[in-house]
Amino acid sequence: MSDQSRWLEALEPDQFVAATETPLPRRKLSRGVLVLLIALRIYVFITAPIVVYAFVRALLTP
Amino acid sequence: MGQDLAQISPLAEQFSRRARLEDLARGRDRHRVLETRRARRPLRLLWLLTGPGLLAMLGENDGPSMVSYATTGATYGVGFFVPFILLTFVMAFAVQEMTVRLGAATHRGHAELIFARFGPFWGYLAMADLVVGNLLTLVTEFIAIQAGGLYFGAPAPVSVGIGALVVIASLALRRYATWERAVMIFAAFNLLFVPAALFAHPDGAALARALATWRPLQGGFSVAFVTLAMANIGATVTPWMIFFQQSAVVDKGLTVADLPQGRIETALGAVVAAVAAIATIVATAPLFAAGIDVSKFVSGPDFASALRPLIGSTGATLFALGVLEAGLVAAMTITTSSAYAFGETLRAGHSLNLDFTEGRLFYGAAIVSTLAAAGVVLIPGAPLLAMTLTVNVIATLMMAPALLLLLLLANDREIMGRLANGRFANLIGGTIVVAITAVGAIYGLVVVFPGLLGN
Repeated sequence: MSDQSRWLEALEPDQFVAATETPLPRRKLSRGVLVLLIALRIYVFITAPIVVYAFVRALLTP
Repeated sequence: MGQDLAQISPLAEQFSRRARLEDLARGRDRHRVLETRRARRPLRLLWLLTGPGLLAMLGENDGPSMVSYATTGATYGVGFFVPFILLTFVMAFAVQEMTVRLGAATHRGHAELIFARFGPFWGYLAMADLVVGNLLTLVTEFIAIQAGGLYFGAPAPVSVGIGALVVIASLALRRYATWERAVMIFAAFNLLFVPAALFAHPDGAALARALATWRPLQGGFSVAFVTLAMANIGATVTPWMIFFQQSAVVDKGLTVADLPQGRIETALGAVVAAVAAIATIVATAPLFAAGIDVSKFVSGPDFASALRPLIGSTGATLFALGVLEAGLVAAMTITTSSAYAFGETLRAGHSLNLDFTEGRLFYGAAIVSTLAAAGVVLIPGAPLLAMTLTVNVIATLMMAPALLLLLLLANDREIMGRLANGRFANLIGGTIVVAITAVGAIYGLVVVFPGLLGN
């Protein structure tokens, strides 16, 4: 058996690049999960401008 | 299958060639692992499977992280933050262990899984967080490299140019395994902070007391305290680590059978990184004892210059070298994290086992982000100090949604099967999300209402 064949045999079937190209099915998100995802996204949208404000204030402070 | 595809179109032929290259390179590494397992050589097996966890943990001991630890040591000395940092690394292990399981169970990268399971809306939002966070962090790594160069007398364009060249050259190794070992050699120098700490003649009893009692905490709770606490959390757990380690686990080819070694090397990485972080606090504690104001220090080498009269020039030089190394290693790992996520999002080739032709989008993303970050540092008058201090805070804020997505994926029995999170892992993961969200909310409140904490 050639080296290359031996190497390919060492891979599990779902490790081959061709196997990982198969798309996974989309997951159905429950209402609770959606609420959590949206809540944390709102959290980032609120806190990010505060960080920007603190950043600008630090720049303007002599 | 490859030959069938090649008959369909040139595009399919190109895919077939890329897939074969990647499969062969990964199969070669896996063959070595299987042979070692068969020969019952546990230490050699652990060595072969070590890499993703160690690099994620040591990569996160980066330029801004070392500045955060140095600021902590210089502002608070040896006290509350020593056990606090130890705790953040326990958190980091709990988070990163999930990425090892995800990668080994699904053989897919983190970005790929988010897009596949949650759809493009949540996928692009997660990518936006990652791109912003990674680019800003990458800029601060080049700030560390530039400042380290200045300490040794190298002009900024020279040190930044060499840094960018090393990062890009590491990509030319064209083998995941070679790249990993090369970056691990650089990462070992993170331990330079240990001898630097010894030059500070640390008080072992004070260190033990701090670990046991979480005291002293000079000044109590204040805006500075909350900012440093956030920066120290951001110095330990960040979104890029999640994306990097899972993709690296997949690129390395870890399987379910390798999970014990994957966990051990992640824990090992956490321990080594925690030792380097605590050593940094100990090394800079003399600045606290001498009452030196470090609020205007731009980078690690500023600390090194201030430390020279206190711990000697050898200790200070080791400290400056450590910061330079921290920036360089993090630049390599963060660049790769961005490239993996970019390739997975576009469903293009995304492996360090590819050559430049087959992985041009993957390598292109890495090279463009490296050059952009290096370019920003060379802009005259760029606010480097404010950027360095802000980056870890941003990383902490963006960690909350990233962690939720990670927890959801780790609980997804359709893809994880029996490797899905148990109750204990969920309890720890949930607690980390709540804690990080709460610290972020407190930070927001004290910035908007500075009088809230009474100082």
